[in-house]
Amino acid sequence: MPKNNTVISIRNVTKIYGHGDSSVTALNGVNLDIKRGETLAIVGKSGSGKSTLAHILATLDQPTSGEVVIDGKNSAKLPRRVVNRLRNRTFGFVFQQFYMNSRDTVLNNVMLPMVIAGVKPSTRRKRAMEALKTVELADKVKSKANDLSGGQKQRVCIARAIVNNPAVIFADEPTGNLDSATGDVIQKLLFDLNRTKGITLVIVTHDMELAAKCDRQIHIKDGQIIDESQDATDSVKSAKGDRK
Amino acid sequence: MKLYDMIRMGNSNLWRNKSRTFLTILAIFIGAFTIMMTTGINTGVNNYIDRQVAAVGSEDYLQVMPAQMAEQFESLMSGSNEVREYKPEDNSTTSQILTDEDITKIESVDGIDSAKFYTMVTTDYVANGQDGATKYQMNASVMPTASMKLDLAAGSDLDMDNDEAQIVLPDKYVKPLGFASNEDAVGKTIKIGATSQVTQQTDEAEVKIVGVQNASVVGMGSAWMNDKAGQLIEDITMAGLPQEYRNQANAIVAQLDKDHISEEAASKVKEQLEDMGYSSMTLTDTVSMIKSFFDAITTVLTIFGAISLLAAAIGIINTLYMSVQERTREIGLMKAMGLSRAKIFGMFSLEAIALGFWGGIIGLAVAFIARAIVNPLASRTFLASLPGFTLIEFNPLYLLIIVLIVMAIAFLAGTLPARRAANKDPIESLRYE
Repeated sequence: MPKNNTVISIRNVTKIYGHGDSSVTALNGVNLDIKRGETLAIVGKSGSGKSTLAHILATLDQPTSGEVVIDGKNSAKLPRRVVNRLRNRTFGFVFQQFYMNSRDTVLNNVMLPMVIAGVKPSTRRKRAMEALKTVELADKVKSKANDLSGGQKQRVCIARAIVNNPAVIFADEPTGNLDSATGDVIQKLLFDLNRTKGITLVIVTHDMELAAKCDRQIHIKDGQIIDESQDATDSVKSAKGDRK
Repeated sequence: MKLYDMIRMGNSNLWRNKSRTFLTILAIFIGAFTIMMTTGINTGVNNYIDRQVAAVGSEDYLQVMPAQMAEQFESLMSGSNEVREYKPEDNSTTSQILTDEDITKIESVDGIDSAKFYTMVTTDYVANGQDGATKYQMNASVMPTASMKLDLAAGSDLDMDNDEAQIVLPDKYVKPLGFASNEDAVGKTIKIGATSQVTQQTDEAEVKIVGVQNASVVGMGSAWMNDKAGQLIEDITMAGLPQEYRNQANAIVAQLDKDHISEEAASKVKEQLEDMGYSSMTLTDTVSMIKSFFDAITTVLTIFGAISLLAAAIGIINTLYMSVQERTREIGLMKAMGLSRAKIFGMFSLEAIALGFWGGIIGLAVAFIARAIVNPLASRTFLASLPGFTLIEFNPLYLLIIVLIVMAIAFLAGTLPARRAANKDPIESLRYE
């Protein structure tokens, strides 16, 4: 597989929390390649290590051993400044709990990644408006984040995630706090972004329906990938089989 | 993140919890205000003394005392417990009294033009030349040197060497003595009453008014006489005493010659006098003694201000720790989005600096308001007798420095919480409930 086709690649990644007897192995020798433009679901029960895997992929956490290669570069060897810029420009984040400044306006929330990047104020506003149009919330630009519904909040968060034109969006249980109707809107929005802008999606979820819509699913159990399936139906079946 | 955005965010974050921020700023304000006011009063006092000295303007004479007397005076002030052995030459008369011999010795010093006894006379009253006129209490002193400039409202300076007895009268005596105006008083003859130390007999000397002096702190409202008038008063107060008594004093006024008026040259003369067993002071020395007294008072007040600033700094630490705690998830989010440790540290430091800035600026504003209220009030009431004395005077540079110091203290206090914020782990912070 040509190198430039792989956005993130991890090799033999192990993550151990704590020391000695009380240590917990969250990940144990995981290998994974994420291809540019694909949609990937990381599935597993809580405590399986799926969140840890996502954090390591997103450089929010460092592995105890193993390599994380982003765009062909070993992230452990990159200066912290470069890693920070990577998370700011190359990655976008969508969280289950939204993490918005609820007392601030929608516009300011969406502009935050650009403020961090040091983008000019006039450009910030223009790009934030474009992102809000994409999520169809341009009319809420001056509202306080607190006055929005859950679905609207998550759409603002998606606008915030895409405002720096990222290559990858990490979504941690993006529909976890929403009812199924609004959850569907968010899902559609994320897959549309993948289709129209070619943004790679990494979705951490335990929602099998959402996982099934992704190109690829990986199942994590006890810190290891136990099943990797390209075929949606198979994966759903095996997940159901797991439950029995 | 750009510096402008950090300042903007730091400042707007401050006002998320208004009452907490307000109280912290209030604490900083109290410290800053106290220090500004004490500095203002110090400047006011020093400027006033400087102006008075500039008005008097005689730097060309030394007041010479026996060294032993100065020493005794000093040990009295410092409360020394030392017991010294007595030697015959230490007897209080020879060691503390200056005679003609001393005058000759002092005049021989290189740089000293002439020397004379510092005449200390005590006067009782002043009255108009007419018989039966009302008597008013008044203290008149002999002017130590001809070069002393008095702030005259009318007339001319004293002629020290004139054979005519002359006086410069404070303006407050003009009306009671029955003169129509300051100008009217000039040239008139008045009577000065004094009493003999021995016979208790009160007698009068006639002196001519040559000038009327504006009220000032120099001389504390006393009248100034020339040497001749001083002699006439001495004739009265020393009546019945042997002549030897008149040719001695506790102090000598030594006139410096023109080439030795500079501070450097004067200090050389002082050294020579010290070697000869005399202690001497210029006007500058006296003034710096007065100033150091006021400096000591304002230093104590400034220390109080500094202590309250220290308490305010602890308030800043507390406020920002709470702020960091409350915004843990926000810090986690910003770190996840690639904001560096240094920038997070900077953001919270700027918040601390903003607290200091507002405390200092409010202190500055209130200090100016206080000055506008206190100064007119003071000069109407307890400073009424000292015209031209503005109690509080601000030096803009000092005020700016105080604001900057307050901001620096706030920054230092803020480093602890800012460090905690910068060191937070993004994932743990995002999970914080």
